[in-house]
Amino acid sequence: MRRSERPMLSLPRPLLLAFVLLLVAQAVHHHFARVRLDTSYRRLSPPFSAQIYRGMALGSEQLFGYLLAIRLQLHDNQVGRHFSYQLIDYRLLIDWLDTITEISPGTEYPLLLASRVYTSTGDPAQLRQILGFIERRFDDDPQLHWRRLAEASVIAKHKLGDLDLALRLARKLARQPASVDMPRWARDFEFLLLAELNELESAIAIIQALLQTESVNDPDERRFLQEKLSELRQKLFESRQVPAK
Amino acid sequence: MTSQTIALFRYLMLGIISRRLFVLLAVLLLTAVLSGSFIQQLAIINSGAIVGAFIADLLRYSLALLALLMVASAVAEDFESSQFERLLTMPLARWQYIAAQFMVIACLCLLLVLPVLLLVSLYSGPVIGIYWAAALWLELMLISLLGLLAILSLEKIPLAVFFTLAIYLLAKLSGLISEMLAQSVYLSDGSAASRALEIFFSVILYVIPGNSSFAQNDVFFEAANLFTALASQFLSVAVYALFLLAVCLVDFYRKEFDH
Repeated sequence: MRRSERPMLSLPRPLLLAFVLLLVAQAVHHHFARVRLDTSYRRLSPPFSAQIYRGMALGSEQLFGYLLAIRLQLHDNQVGRHFSYQLIDYRLLIDWLDTITEISPGTEYPLLLASRVYTSTGDPAQLRQILGFIERRFDDDPQLHWRRLAEASVIAKHKLGDLDLALRLARKLARQPASVDMPRWARDFEFLLLAELNELESAIAIIQALLQTESVNDPDERRFLQEKLSELRQKLFESRQVPAK
Repeated sequence: MTSQTIALFRYLMLGIISRRLFVLLAVLLLTAVLSGSFIQQLAIINSGAIVGAFIADLLRYSLALLALLMVASAVAEDFESSQFERLLTMPLARWQYIAAQFMVIACLCLLLVLPVLLLVSLYSGPVIGIYWAAALWLELMLISLLGLLAILSLEKIPLAVFFTLAIYLLAKLSGLISEMLAQSVYLSDGSAASRALEIFFSVILYVIPGNSSFAQNDVFFEAANLFTALASQFLSVAVYALFLLAVCLVDFYRKEFDH
């Protein structure tokens, strides 16, 4: 049984005043704490030239490139806190990704970071920058990077809401010569984009296709994709349950 | 003569082993495995190759330093305890000391490399493991021989270690130096100073080991002909090791010891 309550205005005035003051104090404190947190973020420093890093690698360029990529990947975690990707200067970030690609050509890691990690930003301008990087670097080695371009295409459609960009990226995939070995569905990606699938359905379709066509050989990435697939199926299931309630 | 050299080698080898070699080796291996596990947790893809390469490189540099310190401290102790004066009163030629030290270095490097073979094989497979162990053995031999030359000439551990590491670093950077020299043709102002500098570095490059003398870490990431890489490294190290031994002999024969 619900107990009846006295009206707010009947409470003692000092108690009401203290309540309002403490509420304002909490809000002000929270606001300044957030500002402090934002300013305590250590910004990315510009990278040196790839040639300098190659010298520093002492002959282990591939390993050094991977270690730099892992260091970059950890940049958004500082002093035990995760900082929003929106705080990262994407121009510098792309400089870093370009430098790492030049230090160890033939590595997938920078483009993987770009498509799987740095597309998590909520800022459309940053998203465009990172998609531009993927599109540009795809030309270095289409055989190695076609999956990243396919992912970029889905992100352009569903996250950025730019169907023209998504279709441009998909057509770039389709235009690749026959010597670039990729599954049929990747070349027909444009039709998948034009189909009325939502973001979750598109992502599930791509991951399933990637896993079924054995396009992913790396066990870490297969495990990652399998986990992602289960997660997306769960989300899709939940999203379909909501209207039924 | 051979039996005297072998007896001297056994004596010197016992001296090296008694310096807590196995404890230090165990600590280094444990550090490599722990830091490798940390890297493995962070890598999104290709973690097997990244960890294998990381552990291999970490052990390469730490074992190089360990081998160098072992050789330098053993010879420095011989200087301090007037061991050379005592040895020269025996029917021993000076070259036998260098030969015994060479055998000590070969055995020490083998001892250091055996656990690396097991560890790298575990992470990256037996083929890469065998390649890396053999290539690392050659690299450690080279550094230890450089260390032997440095300590025989300079007689002080800090100086010898600094000298050896400087040569090692210069050799590792030889690719970059060559590239800079090639670029300097276009950027040089043509002055006598810049030309002298170019000539100096060009000459230096001739007397330090080249990139091919070192284990190639990129084999962890890309398919490579391991046998060719190893054969090329063996040839470079063999030529340079013989050169270093010759310099050691010249330097050691020139030294005056009080009888």
